[in-house]
Amino acid sequence: MKTEKTSVELEIKIAYFLRYGVFIAGCFMFVGWGMNFKFSGDPYFGFSIYDQIPLPDLVEYYLRRKNYGALISYSGLAMLIALPLIRVLLTMVLFLKQKERTLAVIALIVFLGLLLSLFLGIEP
Amino acid sequence: MYAILLLVISILAGFIGALLGLGGGIIVIPALTLIFGVDIRYAVAASLISIIATSSGAAASFLKDHLTNLRVAVVLEIGTVAGAMTGFLISSSIKSSWLYFIFGTFLLLSAFLMLRKKTDSRAEKNHPWSEKLKLAGAFPDGKGQLVAYKVAAVPFGIFCMFFAGILSAVLGIGSGIFKVMAMDGAMKLPMKVSSATSNFMIGVTATASAGAYFLRGDIRPEIACPVAIGIIFGSILGAKAMSELPANAIRKVFVAVMIIVSIQMIMKGINS
Repeated sequence: MKTEKTSVELEIKIAYFLRYGVFIAGCFMFVGWGMNFKFSGDPYFGFSIYDQIPLPDLVEYYLRRKNYGALISYSGLAMLIALPLIRVLLTMVLFLKQKERTLAVIALIVFLGLLLSLFLGIEP
Repeated sequence: MYAILLLVISILAGFIGALLGLGGGIIVIPALTLIFGVDIRYAVAASLISIIATSSGAAASFLKDHLTNLRVAVVLEIGTVAGAMTGFLISSSIKSSWLYFIFGTFLLLSAFLMLRKKTDSRAEKNHPWSEKLKLAGAFPDGKGQLVAYKVAAVPFGIFCMFFAGILSAVLGIGSGIFKVMAMDGAMKLPMKVSSATSNFMIGVTATASAGAYFLRGDIRPEIACPVAIGIIFGSILGAKAMSELPANAIRKVFVAVMIIVSIQMIMKGINS
């Protein structure tokens, strides 16, 4: 019973970690977006036609132009995407603490799948 | 002012989504494409970010209510992650016009699914995988009692999650509507557990393709940031207002709007 209660408490701690993570990532996104905010003009005009530009090229472009707002926004977005990855990793640790080896292996497979999925977006 | 308009629409999307148990993507993607003229690929990528934000932010509430089955979620995530990766690869090969058409068709189907009566059937016995992995659980019935439930058809559930993952990556949605159908229809989980577990899982499903879209450069902060911030804020407001507003009446009006928008998306796909 004590082990079960500890597990539930651990699950909730992981969930609160996610909540604060979303808040911090959200702050980065808000600040970055605010720094580039313009009251006039249509900022979405340039997105009417799809033009694939890899992230490293975009980051280099914004670095050269010293557009720190965009870079802060990208940091917030990266943090947000990392959160579920960390959640799955912590869930694996939780299952190991509960001595549930099969579920821990399943969580590890999910984590490795998420890592692998990142590479799908990298152009060869 | 366009940016402010997008923020307001995203807040509204989060508000209605929380009220009706939908993800904001179903509202934001048509808004971005039909109102702002953004290409659907950028809209899909931005929507996935908002899904990660709302699912991750709300995870604490789902777990505290003891409705989420974390073990079932992890097992089914194998299916959704594999599906999302497959969906990303498929979306890279599809023309934008087809994406509009598929999204419009999905929206039309979702509108009719929202009107269906939800049944709460229970499994009589656990699937052998459920026995081995101890997936069965119990949930509070609102009267202070814990109601036990069993978990059936685990392999079929993973199979359904694979297709839900494909839809998530291709259309930028959480696929919650299909996940809940698979969990409550096939796996015989109680409706409340299915909804909570689905909401818990959609963040991981979205991440499986969002990371790839991010590195490919499809997630643009000018679009994704106001969408994510707006949907988070709107869903917090929606959750607080849920008990005060007539959700059923709003659902019927929303279904009518969804049908109109789905036809517009289908026409945009045909005309592109």
